[in-house]
Amino acid sequence: MRNSWIIAMRELKERIGSRSFILMALFGPIIVLTMTYLLFVLGGKEQQNWKVLIVDPANVMEHKIMANEDPNVKYAFATNYIEIEDFAQNPDYVDYDAMVEINEKILSNKSSFLFYREKPSFNMSVSIRYHVERRLEEVLAEEFTKLSANEFRKIKQPLNLGFRNVYDPTDSSSDLGGWVGMFFGGVIFVFIFLFGMTILRSVSREKSNRIVEVLMATVHPRTLMLGKIVGIGLSALLQFSIWLILIGAGLYFFRESIFIDMYDASNVAAGQASDYNQFVELVFERIQFSSMLTYFMLFFIVGYFFYGAFFAALGAVTGSESDGQQFLLPLIAILIFAMYAGYFVLNNPDSSLSTFYQYLPFTAPVVVMVKLAMGYAPGEGYQLFVSLLILLLSAIGVLIIAGRLYKNGLLQFGHSVRLKTIISWLKMK
Amino acid sequence: MLELQQLTKRFNRKAAIDEISLTLKQGEIVGLLGPNGAGKTTLIRIINRIIEPDSGTIRFKGDLMQQKHLAFIGYLPEERGLYKNMTVEAHAHFLGALRGMTKKDVNTALDYWLNKFDCQSWRKKRIEELSKGMAQKVQFICTVLHEPDLLILDEPFSGFDPVNVELIKQELVEMKAKGKTILISTHNMRSVEEICDRVILINQSKKILEGRVSQLQESLKTGEYAVKFRGTMIAFVNALWTGFELIDKEILGDDRYIARVKMRGDSSFEDLLKVLIGQVKIEAAWEVLPSMHEVFIQAVNNEQKVEA
Repeated sequence: MRNSWIIAMRELKERIGSRSFILMALFGPIIVLTMTYLLFVLGGKEQQNWKVLIVDPANVMEHKIMANEDPNVKYAFATNYIEIEDFAQNPDYVDYDAMVEINEKILSNKSSFLFYREKPSFNMSVSIRYHVERRLEEVLAEEFTKLSANEFRKIKQPLNLGFRNVYDPTDSSSDLGGWVGMFFGGVIFVFIFLFGMTILRSVSREKSNRIVEVLMATVHPRTLMLGKIVGIGLSALLQFSIWLILIGAGLYFFRESIFIDMYDASNVAAGQASDYNQFVELVFERIQFSSMLTYFMLFFIVGYFFYGAFFAALGAVTGSESDGQQFLLPLIAILIFAMYAGYFVLNNPDSSLSTFYQYLPFTAPVVVMVKLAMGYAPGEGYQLFVSLLILLLSAIGVLIIAGRLYKNGLLQFGHSVRLKTIISWLKMK
Repeated sequence: MLELQQLTKRFNRKAAIDEISLTLKQGEIVGLLGPNGAGKTTLIRIINRIIEPDSGTIRFKGDLMQQKHLAFIGYLPEERGLYKNMTVEAHAHFLGALRGMTKKDVNTALDYWLNKFDCQSWRKKRIEELSKGMAQKVQFICTVLHEPDLLILDEPFSGFDPVNVELIKQELVEMKAKGKTILISTHNMRSVEEICDRVILINQSKKILEGRVSQLQESLKTGEYAVKFRGTMIAFVNALWTGFELIDKEILGDDRYIARVKMRGDSSFEDLLKVLIGQVKIEAAWEVLPSMHEVFIQAVNNEQKVEA
């Protein structure tokens, strides 16, 4: 064990000193943060400032629209008819971004048009529709009822029909949550693949520069393999921690500065709570980062050992650094399949195939992340631990088998890998 | 120190090592000789526990060989290898730690060896910055750093220039004097003659010859003598007459020759000297012993004839 640790520490030092490690530690979080930012901005509220001309010849609205001014929309009224071409070309109207046509029939047919120069953002269109509708409600209440505007609104409210899972009536989980699980599972597999490839390269490099013979004359091959997997795994964890800190700090910065208005109480009070970006809400409000991260770490570590043993064995049986590509392909295919399994579970969380994928060690890390993010139904939480146990036992089994391949393959050089040779090495003492 | 009994290892039913037994005593240098593919490297790897034998036992200092004993063995493989981007010092600390040395011990030993090889300035250099010969020295240092009781060297002189070959030889003789046991696998027969106490010859996975260097040479000697003299070759040949036979001659210049002579009948070395005195000026005379190179070739050829 002591020797495994010495080997792991050497491996860790070499990784940390390498240029690729430093580049990945910097650019990984930058890419993730940039993508998050883009998702926030594209799906969220753009800082549009509009001037809107309300053409109201019948003076239905009586030059009134909002009690409190919206800082992003300024309204002006015209009581004469304005043709669309006129609005489009007349320099008098050049300052206005849009024109709303209100005519006397609006109270009966409830339809109107807004002509814009540039397409409004989703939020801008919601705001304008909301402002105009509120004012019309006041007019309608006054014209046809004896109710106050507020009483009228209470009656008029549309039906809000929410779709909920019978086992999750509070809607604590959702498809969106599932996508977050998918993201976490994806991160696990990206890390497993990247650092698995590092194991593969490191083993075949040790093999090709022949230091492996000195090492094998000093420590047991299994000690050597374990040390290597642990060392590179530690560098992966370190890399991941750097990601976590940088991305965490970035998200905190976003929340405190760029997206602060989304948490403004007046926005929520104005009825826009459901309008702002679901993604922002998801990232800041819905994900239970603490439990996600705990299980993420567990499945990350055990899944890494499970797959790492495959990569180590593959590195040991290759004849040269470039060899073994044909055996790498099935491994990549399995990794991609695992991602697909996660997607499948996202869409069919309760199918029996999903349960199977959850227990299959190859797919477990991503599937469990998806299921966890979507939420386990009461009484089904044990599945997570069964899955973890199966994965752990499989990892130990694979490590033992890989250890044998490692031992018998390491000192074979210049051959091309065949399944037959691999099987004979597996049988060898 | 090391005792191998009936070791056998087969690869795909073909024996790489076939019932080989041998013993290494403390404080001796033993040469392991054999043509390419004879099984030397396999045997060495079995001793180092890199390969498991199919049958047979290995005892180290009387105990059955175990993983823990590897810390008392220093192994220099034929195919040298170091981490290219690691410094000399980092290598020493890494390999030293794996063999149970403390940091302080590693530093002391590293200082000693770097001074000995006059290469203190390499300490912080990465292996890729060193020449091939320099890297070989570093590898040798890493092999002996933990003062192993048993040193196993596979072609230790290959890749070194003559000056460094002498340096390494001196070190090996010094280590022997300190009671270390050394097993050298090599094709360099001159070095075998110079430093090995005993040799073991392996051919086609079997041990075919074992003995002290002088004994083996003695057993294969052909009764030839060499005489280095000043004079004329005609005078020399006339003096031999019927009791001796001239086999070969080497002209040295300045009327000096080395002649190789074989006895006929009951003639002795003294008789040879008697007939020559007065005819030529004898400068030196000695019994010709076969070189280890000849011992090696003859033993391998004999083995092949027996098989045929």
